[in-house]
Amino acid sequence: MQSLHVNGYDMPYLDVGEDRGRAPLVCVHGSLNDFRVWGCVLGPLTQRHRVIAVSLRHFFPDRWDGVGDTYSIAQHVDDVIAFIEKLDLGPVDLMGHSRGGHICFRVAQQRPDLLRRLVLAEPGGELDASLDPDYVGGPSPLLARFTASAEKIAAGDVDGGLAVFVDTLEGAGTWPRLPAMVKQNLRDNAYTLIGQVRDNRPPFSKADAESIKMPTLFILGARTKGLLPKVLHALAAHVPYSKTALIPNATHPMFEQAPQKYSEVVLDFLAS
Amino acid sequence: MQTFHVNGYDMAYLEVGEGHPLICVHGTLGDFRTWYSVLGPLSKNHRVISVSLRHFFPEHWDAVGDDYKMAQHVADTIAFIERVQPGPVDLMGHSRGGHIAFRVAQARPDLLRKLVLAEPGGDLDASLLEPDAPPPPPMPLAVAMPLVLTSIRGGDIDGALKAFVDAIDGDGAWARMPAAAKQQLRDNIFTLLGQANENRKPFTKAQAESIRTPTLFIGGGNTTGSLAMVHRVLARHVANSQTVMIDGAKHWMFDEQPQKYCQAVMGFLAS
Repeated sequence: MQSLHVNGYDMPYLDVGEDRGRAPLVCVHGSLNDFRVWGCVLGPLTQRHRVIAVSLRHFFPDRWDGVGDTYSIAQHVDDVIAFIEKLDLGPVDLMGHSRGGHICFRVAQQRPDLLRRLVLAEPGGELDASLDPDYVGGPSPLLARFTASAEKIAAGDVDGGLAVFVDTLEGAGTWPRLPAMVKQNLRDNAYTLIGQVRDNRPPFSKADAESIKMPTLFILGARTKGLLPKVLHALAAHVPYSKTALIPNATHPMFEQAPQKYSEVVLDFLAS
Repeated sequence: MQTFHVNGYDMAYLEVGEGHPLICVHGTLGDFRTWYSVLGPLSKNHRVISVSLRHFFPEHWDAVGDDYKMAQHVADTIAFIERVQPGPVDLMGHSRGGHIAFRVAQARPDLLRKLVLAEPGGDLDASLLEPDAPPPPPMPLAVAMPLVLTSIRGGDIDGALKAFVDAIDGDGAWARMPAAAKQQLRDNIFTLLGQANENRKPFTKAQAESIRTPTLFIGGGNTTGSLAMVHRVLARHVANSQTVMIDGAKHWMFDEQPQKYCQAVMGFLAS
């Protein structure tokens, strides 16, 4: 694959489409995914944009063994910043999904000069007391289940560990119903969960959200339940130049479930 | 994307992993993304090079011009492989891409180490048919093509795709297909306008017998019709060949059973 050497790491990326005088759209995948997750929207998006889909450090095509402390939000944020700098194409549009949305949010906070517009598809994270009156602090209530998932994977039960992780996020019985090709892409990244449960990412605050100054599109699957919609609405209420698009009949992997609708809202936002 | 300039065209490819090169050729309505579900396992031991044939995504083709031909894609694949070092390479093709890979093996056996044909598409000429056997059914796309073309020209892209997919995997197959897979077919819909006149020749017995490259045929255990038949007939006449059937899968067997598919391919390539 093509790659850029950033922070001592060859960061792979897929670069598709012509730039047509517009800013390129850099795409950051979420947990257990990699550059391939954007495959289903590449067609519509590259009708108008040059799309650059990265694989974060330790995700496929890398094969990580879970050893070391270089899997963290902080590391991945540093890597994305260095990647955009090294691209040297001027300010880019930046899109992130789930944990990738968290990373893009932090990039926007730290280096607004690198970005033109921001797209956050159900960004992952927690809310601190300034955004959530029910905030109690401490680790995520889901951490125990994610840790159990990572332990299974470390012990060699990859499918068992993935089932726990996916069912925790998307509801019991989700894993067996996933298309086989989706499952296989998760398997290719299973070991990253070992790093992820060690990562202690800080929650979002109201001041964080208010500091995001570029036009921002939040994208929500209409049927997503739990913490993700709560986080999205809290952030969207405080990011000054933001709007929210709803994808009907979709849950967290909304662009895989509704690639046409998803692409339409992204293209409209980037053109507006 | 990375490209090689071959026969006047920038041919895009995705390259992942290290090891002996394995060139992968998608079929009708596919592109380099066709192989995404098997990239992980296959790239553990191989340098997997997944190409997009001329006029497939990432090109957004308008179907103007007459260079969407079987012969053109074969010539392009040959020219592409000539650029890959070290040779000879392993070559894998699915469906129409299997037809292309077969023709490459016929024309340039010197370029190939091993050949993997996953339900290759094509017609069988009389030399490959048993004397008293009923004629084989036509290729699914040949049956569906009139409706496919009418639908595309009328702007009903999903109608065209439903006709295509259901012809191959049975009624309801399009409706059951994951939305992400559907979208990748949509991205290549205009190639079908080229394919209607691609001038593909049938396979003959002499051609099958001429293949000397060690060959693995892969079939989906639940595939029916001509796509289930063609690889069985060819395998009888390709001297150094073996066949693996993937249980619980149809024509897109690597999407349905990626682990079993990779096990078959990796076992063959390592043997």
